[in-house]
Amino acid sequence: MRWFETPNFNFTEARKFSYILSGTLFIISLIAIFTQGLEYGIDFKGGKEFVLAFEQPVNVVELRDNLSEPLGSTPELKLYGTDHEVLIRTENEEAMASVQQIILSTVQKVYPNNPVRVDKTDVVGPRFADDLKMGALQSVIYAIVIIFIFILIRFRNWTFSAGAVAALIHDVVIVLGIFTILGDHVPFSLQIDQTIIAAFLTIVGYSLNDTVVVFDRIRENSNVHKGMDFVPMVNKSLNDTLSRTVITSLTTLFVVIVLFIFGGEVLKGFSFALLLGIVFGTYSSLFIASALVEELEVRTKKS
Amino acid sequence: MQGNGFKIGSIVAFLAITLWYLLPTIQYSLEQNYMDDLSPSETVQYKEENKQKLENLRSKILSLGLDLQGGMHVTLEVGFPRLVKELAGDNADQLLDDVIDTAHEKSLQNNTDFITEMVAEFESRDPDARLSRYYRNDAMDITRRSSNDEIGTFLKKQRQSALDRAIEIIRTRVDRYGVTEPSIVKQGSNRIVVELPGVEDKERVRNLLKGTARLEFRLAADAQEFRAFVNQLYDYYASYEQPSDSSDSTTANQLNPLQEVLVPAQSPYLVGYATKEDTAKVMALIKTEEVQRMMPRSTTVMWSANPMPGQGGEDLYQLIGVRTQIELTGDVIEAASVQFDPTTNIPEVSMSMNSDGARKWGRITGANIGKPVAIVLDGFVFSYPNVQTKIANGRSSITGLDGVEEADDLVNILLSGALPAPLNILEERTVGATLGAESIQAGLNSILVGLGIVAIFMIVYYKVGGAIADLALLLNIIFILGILAAFKATLTLPGIAGIVLTIGMAVDANVLIFDRIREEQRTGKTLKAAIEAGYGNAMSAIVDSNVTTFFVAIILFSFGVGPIKGFAVTLMAGIVASLFSAIVITRILVDYLTHNKQKSVSFG
Repeated sequence: MRWFETPNFNFTEARKFSYILSGTLFIISLIAIFTQGLEYGIDFKGGKEFVLAFEQPVNVVELRDNLSEPLGSTPELKLYGTDHEVLIRTENEEAMASVQQIILSTVQKVYPNNPVRVDKTDVVGPRFADDLKMGALQSVIYAIVIIFIFILIRFRNWTFSAGAVAALIHDVVIVLGIFTILGDHVPFSLQIDQTIIAAFLTIVGYSLNDTVVVFDRIRENSNVHKGMDFVPMVNKSLNDTLSRTVITSLTTLFVVIVLFIFGGEVLKGFSFALLLGIVFGTYSSLFIASALVEELEVRTKKS
Repeated sequence: MQGNGFKIGSIVAFLAITLWYLLPTIQYSLEQNYMDDLSPSETVQYKEENKQKLENLRSKILSLGLDLQGGMHVTLEVGFPRLVKELAGDNADQLLDDVIDTAHEKSLQNNTDFITEMVAEFESRDPDARLSRYYRNDAMDITRRSSNDEIGTFLKKQRQSALDRAIEIIRTRVDRYGVTEPSIVKQGSNRIVVELPGVEDKERVRNLLKGTARLEFRLAADAQEFRAFVNQLYDYYASYEQPSDSSDSTTANQLNPLQEVLVPAQSPYLVGYATKEDTAKVMALIKTEEVQRMMPRSTTVMWSANPMPGQGGEDLYQLIGVRTQIELTGDVIEAASVQFDPTTNIPEVSMSMNSDGARKWGRITGANIGKPVAIVLDGFVFSYPNVQTKIANGRSSITGLDGVEEADDLVNILLSGALPAPLNILEERTVGATLGAESIQAGLNSILVGLGIVAIFMIVYYKVGGAIADLALLLNIIFILGILAAFKATLTLPGIAGIVLTIGMAVDANVLIFDRIREEQRTGKTLKAAIEAGYGNAMSAIVDSNVTTFFVAIILFSFGVGPIKGFAVTLMAGIVASLFSAIVITRILVDYLTHNKQKSVSFG
């Protein structure tokens, strides 16, 4: 089987559309992030979280109403995977043991004939949450800086670094935007926590993978076809590597979908981030990264 | 095939090393399967007989993270400001306290080193003052002339040793408690990360980790003086008008605010009784300046550690008057054990002191016959028995315990030694064993389904080439597990996700190569030449793209904690393994097929 055997797409032409598409998505994402704010998970916000597994289905609204008074504030409650598991998050500052006691005695009063088990608890202090947030931010920034430097060393051209990094920022911002917009509209948690940051860095690595393969081909082609203009050469390189880009994206997409379906509730948000990341990473490698390199090259050559 | 000898050798060697490291894991799971079939008593016996062997195996297996096997993860912070205050001992004054508190605030805000901030803060208040006046210590070569920088270095050294000591003490406590495979590691300059697989009683562990084990013997307050104070206190609040900012006139007729939360007591040593929820409110009423002025000299109040039943069956805690002076501390305790009261069979902790302690204890008890001595642990009074006779043999016991578990833990804490500084829990995560088991199943399913889909796709798309890549992929997963076992890494759920992701991305190198071979074939090259050129030309793209991903994995590893680190490790192992299997293994197979059979190998 062969797809894209000798493709000859005009990526340079398609750019107008991709600029509009990316620009729109990017701006919508930024607006969403700045108006709604990112919804942080417990890692970055602090608080106490419990996952309770009941034997029979429970009503989240009923539980929330009943827990509000004993806990002193309305807790965040949502179903966790199935209709008999719930995640409870509270800002109550009392000791862990007493908060758990309050929750357990209340739910047993509401559902006396529905045995419950505590599956998971998390306590993150506010200061520790700040540290984690800082660490996550640093790791993303360091990743971008190191990638910029590495590509600069490997390809000896800052325009390649700039194109790659711009594409990465594009991917991460759009995925963050989608997370913010979808937030409460999907049946699983899209809160930003450590695992999501890990997913983002993986997206960064993945998207970069595609971009670097294209850059590598541009470098090779510029050695083989010395007389060729830069713009058609980039287009040729994109076409040369198109088959590989699509196949690798597909196999990776397969496993991420598998992870999303079979990986359990803990990995839902993580695999969803990867899913979006692969789609936008592939797209940006084809339409954004090289396009920006081209723009920069043409502009710097002129001046 | 010439020149392939080295490659084949390296594959065999790599595979052998991998299997060597995985062998204990396989053996251990076989042992566990075997034990699952035995009856409970046979299992115990089998475990006893093969203890050495099983422990040996377990220390070498690829261990599962807490998110997969269930357990408790706690990040503790050592309270250094308190340590630094205490190091100054009797020399400490208001200024030093102020400096320490301000420096602590600043270090948190600016994310800087606390001791550096402290020295700077101290100098900013008075550039000529010397910290040495607080920290003179001949043994440590700190004289009055020591510069502030020297003091800073001294304090940093003290901090380091306090942290190390805290880790040692926690390790001892955890070992005594009986946790298999605990992990206790230092993080940064003031944090300790404790991982305890399989623990059930979270509250017990929390107390075990945090308990500073500051055992103090204090005299109770003077009965007459204290009784007078308590009466004055109730009177004060009876006539007390709440400072109300509203024009609500009913507030004037209110009940005594103290009696709302505190039940008066008969004993001359007690202020009263309160429920746990009310203790904070009571303290707020007692800590006011006016009340503190009424308090007899050198006297303070402390809560009882365990409740007693009230009239309505509610749990009530006693607020007890004690002297501020500490007569004797836990340092003198030499041995401790759980004993049962012969008549009531209630557990208590019996302690014996060293000779120095015994002498002082004899003097204290001798001078206070008929009066109560409070036994205080970490700021709570466990009991305040009346001294019957002079105790000369250095024996003492702690009664008023909640149960035999508390007695056990108390003995554990006393014998492990006192923590040099208080520990605060910054973060705590627990996962139940059931959820862990579900996660393992979910992870395994994902690996199998992911592998199946990718394998089929590769065969459909690249035919024989795809089959070769699939074989490499399979070996690849074995390699990853082997690398993880060899580096003693822990397999977490995100780690499994990393393996699944690697399955998808590992074929990338082969996709690059096979696509390149197809391309070379199109230019009219023979199969062998195309293969040669395909591998050669794809190499730089493969190396570049994998090196960049590897960098990202390193960054993840250095910033992530717990499960995320596991993800980063599998990602790194995956990159190394997939590079090896894609470049070396598939090459050998492709060469072999094209060489021996003179048959064409289809790349689809």
